[in-house]
Amino acid sequence: MPRILRLAALFGSLLSAPLWAADVDPATYGFPLHNPFEATIATTPTALRPALPFDTDIDQADYALLLRPEREFELPENFWPVTKMHYRLAQQSKPAPLMFIIAGTGSNYANSTMDFLKKLYYQAGYHVVQLSSPTSYDFMASASRYATPGISADDADDLYRVMQAVRAQHPDLPVTEYYLTGYSLGGLQAAFVSHLDETRRSFNFKRVLLINPPVNLNTSVSNLDRLVQTEVKGVTDSTTFYELMLRKLSLYFQQKGYIDLSEAMLYDFQQSRQRLTNEQMAMLIGTVFRFASADIAFTSDLINRRGLIIPPNYPITEGTSLTPFFKRALQCDFDCYMTNQLIPMWRARHNGGSFTQLVDAVSLYGLEDYLRNSPKIAVLHNADDVILGPGDLGFLRRTFGERLTVYPYGGHLGNLNYKVNTQAMLDFFRG
Amino acid sequence: MTTPYVQLARLAKPLLLALSLLLPMAAQADTDPDGFTRPLDSLKFNPGLDQTEFERATLEALEIYDPWERFNRHMYHFNYRLDEWVLLPVVRGYMYVTPRFVRSGVSNFFGNLGDIPNLLNSALQLKGKRSLQTTGRLLVNTTVGVFGLWDPASRIGLPKQSEDFGQTLGFYGVGDGPYLVLPFFGPSNVRDAGGRVFDFAVDSEVNFLNVAEATEDHPEIFLLRSINARYTTNFRYGQLNSPFEYEKVRYVYTRARDLQIAE
Repeated sequence: MPRILRLAALFGSLLSAPLWAADVDPATYGFPLHNPFEATIATTPTALRPALPFDTDIDQADYALLLRPEREFELPENFWPVTKMHYRLAQQSKPAPLMFIIAGTGSNYANSTMDFLKKLYYQAGYHVVQLSSPTSYDFMASASRYATPGISADDADDLYRVMQAVRAQHPDLPVTEYYLTGYSLGGLQAAFVSHLDETRRSFNFKRVLLINPPVNLNTSVSNLDRLVQTEVKGVTDSTTFYELMLRKLSLYFQQKGYIDLSEAMLYDFQQSRQRLTNEQMAMLIGTVFRFASADIAFTSDLINRRGLIIPPNYPITEGTSLTPFFKRALQCDFDCYMTNQLIPMWRARHNGGSFTQLVDAVSLYGLEDYLRNSPKIAVLHNADDVILGPGDLGFLRRTFGERLTVYPYGGHLGNLNYKVNTQAMLDFFRG
Repeated sequence: MTTPYVQLARLAKPLLLALSLLLPMAAQADTDPDGFTRPLDSLKFNPGLDQTEFERATLEALEIYDPWERFNRHMYHFNYRLDEWVLLPVVRGYMYVTPRFVRSGVSNFFGNLGDIPNLLNSALQLKGKRSLQTTGRLLVNTTVGVFGLWDPASRIGLPKQSEDFGQTLGFYGVGDGPYLVLPFFGPSNVRDAGGRVFDFAVDSEVNFLNVAEATEDHPEIFLLRSINARYTTNFRYGQLNSPFEYEKVRYVYTRARDLQIAE
């Protein structure tokens, strides 16, 4: 559909449908960080987070699955930690519903957001399974068939096999029903997993919650690639961005007299003369995603022996330096990965096809009818999320109607650990 | 016994936290009809979108003196396996058999012993205020805190301030020397590895609360101390979830030490 038509459709539906029902009023929302970059980096102040159990009070363990035995022989020997797929399961002592959580871009099952969500749902009485993102290094190496993440339907298929294998590994776990959630890219993938489940019927997910998902995958990765293009004050010929950040930290600690470790320090720093500008924060967020894209580009190239970053069959032992390949990989942003690896593979497997077709197929657009007619799926999103582009919220409103909740602040996932949001998550699953 | 990973974890967290500081945004961008506030519109971008600051900064950050990289990488994998197969299972067993208040008592007790080298090194660096504070910590925690089982000093505004001999050497201008991955202890460099030997010697010479001497007869004290050291360290191999974890740990360790020395 030409963009103008899509725009017309958007505005048409904006005027007709009851679209604003689930918008949260900025006046009563109470989330303190109104700057989207600040929210994305700092997330919720400790006092406004929900009270959660200690790790030691949770019956949990990490497990390994051997899903792709051939990888042990295909991968160089210093990749031994990721030949098996690892995940974390927290189990209740009595029959309970089970929650699958899918991590965001490049994240593995054990990162802090995953553990936070685990505690939240565990406390509410769910068994919880934490799964790495299909874009993470460990998942790509141990569980992905093509190891070229980005084709949402394929990523969902990989995830679905993992979920089935997880269930098979715990035949005695008393599960009453299945639920699914994911944040960021994991939210988009949760939608595709739910769609797949309608035909495979292994889990019959009762409810599915997408938290801050990308709507148009290409918009999201372009936005993230662009963040490292901000004009950062203080970067000069002799001072790199990292040196600038470290200098600020060092000055701050010197003024303070000692290295403070508490989270309160963060707000103190914010008040100090060393505070960061929006551009500096954007650069910082962009940097995190550039490291993710470097890992993806390198791992995908290595496993598929494409020879773009590392020559196929290059001899690697545990002592071999990977730094030369890191140097090449870090010059590859998401756009570079898509152009050089994802699109060529997709074209080869689907007899050509344009870039627009690819973007439509891997974004939420590809599931529009399914999402519109599936009352069990809901979305939480923010009006100031940096991974969205113009029109994306309109698409979500048209597609989900009242099943979409839009928060006025929070940036990208910054309010995920805010009490009001966690209550909304629990309420949704409770039904 | 403070491992470099403890320092790494301690520093990495505030590093990340501090990097995340922000200024409240007063200006509100224009809002789309669908409610989208276009956060990127408020940023000033490089007009050509051809800036390579990320690449430049990262390439430069990879320049860390590491002539023994082959050995170091082997040692990194050795430590990784040791952690997965021995240390973490032992820590899980320890957590299974002890209640939390026992574990925090153990951590506080050995932490209190660690204030001896902290004090000595603060004094060697002529940091008067810090030396006094650490002396205060030792007095309060050893008496009111019952031989250090509790840490009341932190609550009355005397936070723990780690200083080791590696920092003292750095304070007087001794360079890092080659990066070095030590068995069990993990990332280090020649200067800090030497500092570690010195701090260990101080620990057994001072024989504070008679622990060093008792350890000679009761190796289980050493064992408990080692388990506690791993228990109090948040770092997990694979946690950075990257094929380039070795490079990233090397960078964070080196810069974290620079920060510790500078402050």
